[in-house]
Amino acid sequence: MATKKAVIPLGRVMVIGGCGFLGHHVVNMLLRDHQTTSISVVDLKCISNRRPDSDGVKYFDCDITNLAALTSVFEEAKPNVVIHTASPTAQGSGASAHALFKKVNVDGTICVIEACQKTGVTALVYTSSASIISDNKNDLIYADERWPVIRGKAQTEYYAETKAAAEELVLKANRQDPYKLVTSSIRPAGIIGEGDRQAIYHTVNIYKEGRTGFQIGNNDNLFDFTYVENVAHAHLLAAQALLVTTSNSVVPLDHERVDGEAFLITNDSPTYFWDFIRTVWSHAGSPLGTDHVWHLSRDLGYVLGALSELFCAMLRKPPTFNRQRTVYSCMTRYYNITKAKSRLGYRPLVPLEEGIKRAVKWSLEKQEKEQ
Amino acid sequence: MGAVKQAIYFLFHPTELRSIIQWKVWHEPVHRRDEEKESETMKSCFKFLNLTSRSFSAVIQELHPELLVPVTMFYLLLRGLDTIEDDMTIDMATKEPLLRNFHKNMEVDGWTFKGNGPNEKDRELLVHFDDVITELKKIKEPYYVIIKDITDKMGNGMADYALKGEEEAHGVETIAEYEEYCHYVAGLVGDGLTRLFVEAKLANPALLERPDLTESMGQFLQKTNVIRDIREDWDDKRRWWPKEIWGKYVDKWEDLFDPSKRDIALQVSSEMVLNALGHAEDCLFYMAGVKEQSVFNFVAIPQSMAIATLELIYRNPEVFEKNIKIKKGDACQLMTESTQNLRVVCDVFKRYARRIHQKSDPRDPNYMAISVKCGSIEKFIESIFPSQKPEVEEAKQDEVSFTLKETLVLTFFVLAVLGAVSALMVGTAYLLGVKFGSEFEEFFGLRKIATDTITSAITEATETAGGVAHGEL
Repeated sequence: MATKKAVIPLGRVMVIGGCGFLGHHVVNMLLRDHQTTSISVVDLKCISNRRPDSDGVKYFDCDITNLAALTSVFEEAKPNVVIHTASPTAQGSGASAHALFKKVNVDGTICVIEACQKTGVTALVYTSSASIISDNKNDLIYADERWPVIRGKAQTEYYAETKAAAEELVLKANRQDPYKLVTSSIRPAGIIGEGDRQAIYHTVNIYKEGRTGFQIGNNDNLFDFTYVENVAHAHLLAAQALLVTTSNSVVPLDHERVDGEAFLITNDSPTYFWDFIRTVWSHAGSPLGTDHVWHLSRDLGYVLGALSELFCAMLRKPPTFNRQRTVYSCMTRYYNITKAKSRLGYRPLVPLEEGIKRAVKWSLEKQEKEQ
Repeated sequence: MGAVKQAIYFLFHPTELRSIIQWKVWHEPVHRRDEEKESETMKSCFKFLNLTSRSFSAVIQELHPELLVPVTMFYLLLRGLDTIEDDMTIDMATKEPLLRNFHKNMEVDGWTFKGNGPNEKDRELLVHFDDVITELKKIKEPYYVIIKDITDKMGNGMADYALKGEEEAHGVETIAEYEEYCHYVAGLVGDGLTRLFVEAKLANPALLERPDLTESMGQFLQKTNVIRDIREDWDDKRRWWPKEIWGKYVDKWEDLFDPSKRDIALQVSSEMVLNALGHAEDCLFYMAGVKEQSVFNFVAIPQSMAIATLELIYRNPEVFEKNIKIKKGDACQLMTESTQNLRVVCDVFKRYARRIHQKSDPRDPNYMAISVKCGSIEKFIESIFPSQKPEVEEAKQDEVSFTLKETLVLTFFVLAVLGAVSALMVGTAYLLGVKFGSEFEEFFGLRKIATDTITSAITEATETAGGVAHGEL
């Protein structure tokens, strides 16, 4: 881990969504690894994940979909770098969830871009998602940034659709005269870490409830997960690169440019889906091997998912298990991050297993407290 | 195995028998030795090659004519050194100078060595070493220089290790020492061979600029041998497994052979396998630099055998009890696959990487690391031979639509015709020993699922897959 601070000073940095899962890690890393003049955080309600006052981070409660309010925060904090991580959790379907996705991800991002342009921000780094190039049914094998973004009807997850729309807006805002703003987008795959209430938290729960006894699919499908600090690191590398770009008088060559570009980010360690799950269980304390595990084929899992959907529809409650989840657990989905390596100099700082350990520890402590 | 026993075995393992027949009948050597043109001493050299090497003699004799003799000579020289090093009946005062001066003795006409113990299996080679020396002198100068250089380095390396083993009966301490040992006994051979291949213009000269790749070729093979031979070495009171690894799990080396501590011993072997797998990607990369088919076969066969052997010994308690080997049928299948091209060899590596991770036990501390390593091998293969292209995703969306009736009628006819034709073809081909892909076997393979547990599984299945897979922000 880097003990010395990064060479390129970032100046006044604002983290939007800085009290959220990814955002607060970005704040922590800024304090730990970077030279900054000031750090400000914008979040809907700056309650959780706050740094102690002694760290000097300024917190602003603000709804990013309110352009006037957001602009006045920008005018006060005067950031030259903005890291935009704000997003609702991806879980949830139905009209209200969809409306929220659209409001925060698309409308919010439009406001952020406008505020950046109006107040003369230099660099904007946006948190997109690797899922925007997935159609959620076909495999993605060593996919890179050349893969087309899946939009509209082909994109079955509305969340991904809104992330893709926002990314497009952010990248379009790059080098738009008369503004000096340059932009990049980071597409992380499967973020895990302290503060996450989805992936690992949920998996730990399954172990606690003693439901580790089955596997859907043959477990030869590789999947990418990424430890949150590595994702935060990638954002800050992009911010640094954007600042360097603007300080150069010439526009960079196509194969080395960072502005206007999207970058897939993973731990560069794809693992077999159920190996990942079982590692989580082991770290959560499971003493079991695999002898007790029932193997269900993908097709059977699909049928079960359909039955569960039907059953739940009859009971008029949302299904906890469905066909899509079977598909996910049998899908190959991993990425080629050569572009981030060569253009951002990105390397994962924390190995995957260490990331899993930390995330499991956090989840266990959290669950302990809540009991 | 007696003939009857063998016949019964193959009766119940027809696929193995098929692989063997397939290799023996269908394998066509790229080049053949021309025995008529060979001198008496040369014939003697090939006789020794056949006597001393079970696994290498066939592939060496199929090598490109340019390298056939140099590689044979190189092999016999190294085998000669090995025969001296291995023989515990030779005292150190004799052994050390013999090893260190071997590269000089190889230039002395008529030099032989009769000091090996009567039980040394390769004794005859050194007794008639003058034949090797006679032929050695006939090979081209550049090859000779390479061979002599490696013999010099290897002899000295072996001497150093023999002395070390004498002084401290403890064996290898650190991973660095373990790799140094593997370098002397295998890495150097790889170095010499790479130089020979490039000199003969049968491999890409860029390989000389990546000595790390060459080194990995040797390390991968030697580490596999060291892990596999643990029981044999234990019986011979030798230890090559580094304490830096096993010391994390047990206090005493003997503990690994204590049947009550098998679980922990398996974890040690997992870490040894993990360490060896670290070279797999380099090996594939190296093979991409080989230009000529016979040289490719020569380097690829041992590598495929090695990854298959790693799979066999991974989480296998028998490794601490006896010497285990891959089945003959599997070996033949591997040889067939390793004599095609890099793509087929990559498929072999991928297949075995998957088998390895499937054998993992979540209680093993190396569980995740093995999974990441196997994933990394798959990922590397994808980087050489991508199975997807960005455009494919788009193409999928243009589907031709038929009405249900049309589809049914069409499907029926297509299937009927296909079924009849393929039954005929596949049946004939199978009988003739043609190879089928793994999909074919899976199709006929059994996947047993008890239906009565399905209902309870519905609730079980409820959440595991969910939420987890869907954690992307």
